[in-house]
Amino acid sequence: MTSDLETPTEALSDAGLETFAYDDAIVRKFVVATVFWGVIGMLAGLLAALQLASHHFNLELPYITFGRLRPIHTNAVIFAFVGNAIFAGSYYATQRLLKTRLFSDTLSKIHFWGWQLIIVGAAVTFALGITVSKEYAELEWPLDVAVAVIWIIYAINFFGMLKTRREKHLYVAIWFFMASIIAVALLHVVNSLAVPVSLFKSYPIFAGVQDALVQWWYGHNAVAFFLTTPFLGLMYYYLPKAAERPVYSYRLSIIHFWSLIFIYMWAGPHHLLYTALPEWAQALGTAFSIMLIAPSWGGMINGLLTLRGAWDKLRTDPVLKFMVAAVTFYGLSTFEGPMMSLKSVNSLSHYTNWTVAHVHGGALGWNGFLTFGMLYWLVPRLWRRKGKAPELFSVKLANAHFWLGLVGIGFYVLSMWAAGIAEGLMWKEFDADGRLVYGTWSDTLPTLFPMYIIRAVGGALYITGLFMMVYNLIKTAKGADTEDQVAQAPALKAEVTEEKGHWHRLLEGRPVRFTIYTTIAVAIGGAMEIIPSLLIESNVPTIASVKPYTPLELEGRDIYIAEGCYNCHSQMIRPFRAETERYGEYSKAGEFIYDRPFQFGSRRIGPDLHRVGGKYPDMWHYNHMLDPRSTSEGSVMPAYPWLFEDELDLSLTATKLRAFQIFNAPYSDDDVKNAEANARAQAAQIAEGLQAQVATLPDIRDKQIVALIAYLQRLGTDIKQAEGSAAR
Amino acid sequence: MSRDTNEILDHDYDGIREYDNPLPRWWVALFWFGIVFGIVYVPYYIFGPGPLAAEEYAAEMAAAEAAMPEKKELSADDLLVAQKDPARIARGKETFGKLCAACHVADGGGLVGPNLTDEFWIHGGSMADVVKVITEGVPEKGMISWKTQLSPEEIVDVSAYVKSLVGTTPANPKAPQGEKYTGT
Repeated sequence: MTSDLETPTEALSDAGLETFAYDDAIVRKFVVATVFWGVIGMLAGLLAALQLASHHFNLELPYITFGRLRPIHTNAVIFAFVGNAIFAGSYYATQRLLKTRLFSDTLSKIHFWGWQLIIVGAAVTFALGITVSKEYAELEWPLDVAVAVIWIIYAINFFGMLKTRREKHLYVAIWFFMASIIAVALLHVVNSLAVPVSLFKSYPIFAGVQDALVQWWYGHNAVAFFLTTPFLGLMYYYLPKAAERPVYSYRLSIIHFWSLIFIYMWAGPHHLLYTALPEWAQALGTAFSIMLIAPSWGGMINGLLTLRGAWDKLRTDPVLKFMVAAVTFYGLSTFEGPMMSLKSVNSLSHYTNWTVAHVHGGALGWNGFLTFGMLYWLVPRLWRRKGKAPELFSVKLANAHFWLGLVGIGFYVLSMWAAGIAEGLMWKEFDADGRLVYGTWSDTLPTLFPMYIIRAVGGALYITGLFMMVYNLIKTAKGADTEDQVAQAPALKAEVTEEKGHWHRLLEGRPVRFTIYTTIAVAIGGAMEIIPSLLIESNVPTIASVKPYTPLELEGRDIYIAEGCYNCHSQMIRPFRAETERYGEYSKAGEFIYDRPFQFGSRRIGPDLHRVGGKYPDMWHYNHMLDPRSTSEGSVMPAYPWLFEDELDLSLTATKLRAFQIFNAPYSDDDVKNAEANARAQAAQIAEGLQAQVATLPDIRDKQIVALIAYLQRLGTDIKQAEGSAAR
Repeated sequence: MSRDTNEILDHDYDGIREYDNPLPRWWVALFWFGIVFGIVYVPYYIFGPGPLAAEEYAAEMAAAEAAMPEKKELSADDLLVAQKDPARIARGKETFGKLCAACHVADGGGLVGPNLTDEFWIHGGSMADVVKVITEGVPEKGMISWKTQLSPEEIVDVSAYVKSLVGTTPANPKAPQGEKYTGT
């Protein structure tokens, strides 16, 4: 276990020492960006919360309706707030753990500005309704390419430090950063594969249940490798630093690292339990979720037990308070998640606010609090007063922030647990006559509104704490010096091959091999689930009566996607009596083969729409989209008046059909050639039908609403055609 | 915690040291539990007796069917009585205002849906016909089925109210549609 480089640097003679400066300027930039985007992302979340408490907060402004705002909120918090925190934290820690300056100052700058530009691009495109609709991967293809480029730059800058390092062995924090960088690259590229039809529109190369499987492999592991493993890396650096205590167990680090990164990648299908996803994949999702408890808790106990002997510091030190609470929330979330992956629990919790409670326990508790703890520790060190020890402007204010934030999380999570369980039960409740007690969707809403208000209050408290931190950090930084910290260390001796010692210890000295093993560990899970589901045809039994969308329906579907309808409406009826009674026949895998992207959804703020086709007349949809409360008393849905004003753009329709031809959708060349004419004809038919009923109605044949109505009326009807013909 | 050796390793990363404490026993047990669970769980559902979702569904539907109380269908005579029952008409009026007026207008004159005040009916004008249309709907014409939202009793109430509308004069009557029905 010995190494010739472990001696403290001061003990070495000056002759062997190299002097170098850490790039702290770039860390400062990322710190500022973290705080800035944190404020923006959380305010967007608060507005979204208010929109669910009252539809008036949608302001009838297309750019901020809930369907467009929610992706802005989730992306801002995940990729802007947490993303910048990862970059700040990993760049600061890794330079010091490897005793080397960042690989390239130029790459660092490109990384920083490139990432911020992508965030701005994301916010603008989402507000305009330019989206792929795959959750946490909503960016259209040009921005996806930009993300890949910047991520590769991050990778080069990071792995470059392994080359120039002056520390032979890699510390556990570095392992987690490496795994994160590799896995995120893999996830992002595979899930973003698409065929573009214009600069702002593309169709994924996967369809229906396969698209869903790839998306939730991505979605689940975005949680794993963006929100979890990089933060474990941060925990392993900043927690022992702040506590000034040794890490509890090196052995535990090794075992929980490898088991965590290997098992995580298999668990994605737990987002699709009881859906039309093949059941072998669902079973793997549940099994690996339960297996995930111990590796996750390995991280938690290694963090918490590191504080043995330092618990008294918790009373006074806000940094440790935040970190301990964060690690505790991590432990809670990683227990709750596997429980929600059990079929019986999931049948109640899925599509409800319970999931919202779960993710916010993780996001506000684990990611938010760990970031705050890290910032309270980092900022006084990055903005340091000359000749003085690092000092926070106000420890008292930071402690107040902690308690306010904790109460905020409590309000948030408890209200959403209650709301989630309540709505899950209401959706399933039958009376003695065998009828749904809450047969009308809006009957469930009065129970939820008070909880939505409590949730918004919790969020507001949390954000108030955030503003207290902003003030505290600005005061801390004001008037401080910002010089790069200079350090000394001996150069790494050229390839002194270590032959003896524990095999893992040897591996820690060999970054290339370490990287290869890590890549293999993270690649297996996805490959074992995705490849068979693509290759084995019996996974998606075909249904003869399922036909591709008409050109107008396809355009309507793209409007449905652009407006973010999937944020509130699922298109996946599970095989439960309560669902088939409410919505109709449960969804089959073969019904989705022309769905690019899939629109299963993950949350039912409104009812499922998979069998809405033919359920209501066109006029109902017309009135409902113009004023949801005219047809559905008490509805929380925003109105969509702009769909009645904005022109229906059919300039790309033929190109879109051609793209579907590439995917083997049975459109003939004539269908492509006549796409626009066919769409116009169907639009005219719908518009005339409406006017025949109410002559005073404006002509909507050229408006977006006509396409949306066409799509909604088609949904889930193909399978009924089959039943009809069989009956005849 | 008693097993902690607190043996400190010679690792030093930017001042961070590491102990090499043994793994807590309960944690190791949890780890193995997960693995055993996985090894048992997957084959149990995929190859073994674990019910697939479709099987669970069939069982749930069968159980519901068995537990369903016997439906007491109202006879033709009962319906005739119900049709004239002022209490039912009053309750039906309330439901009509809430749910039906969106398409048929509060006074029954029709808008999206047909006029209910004239003697012409698209799907039959007897009390039994009206009950059937409201219960099952006529989806291809845009009339939805109300049986999941209204109880059979409530549907009879609404039907009674609808029948009571015949012969009244709405503000903007829609042109007659369907066949003339002159029965009760």
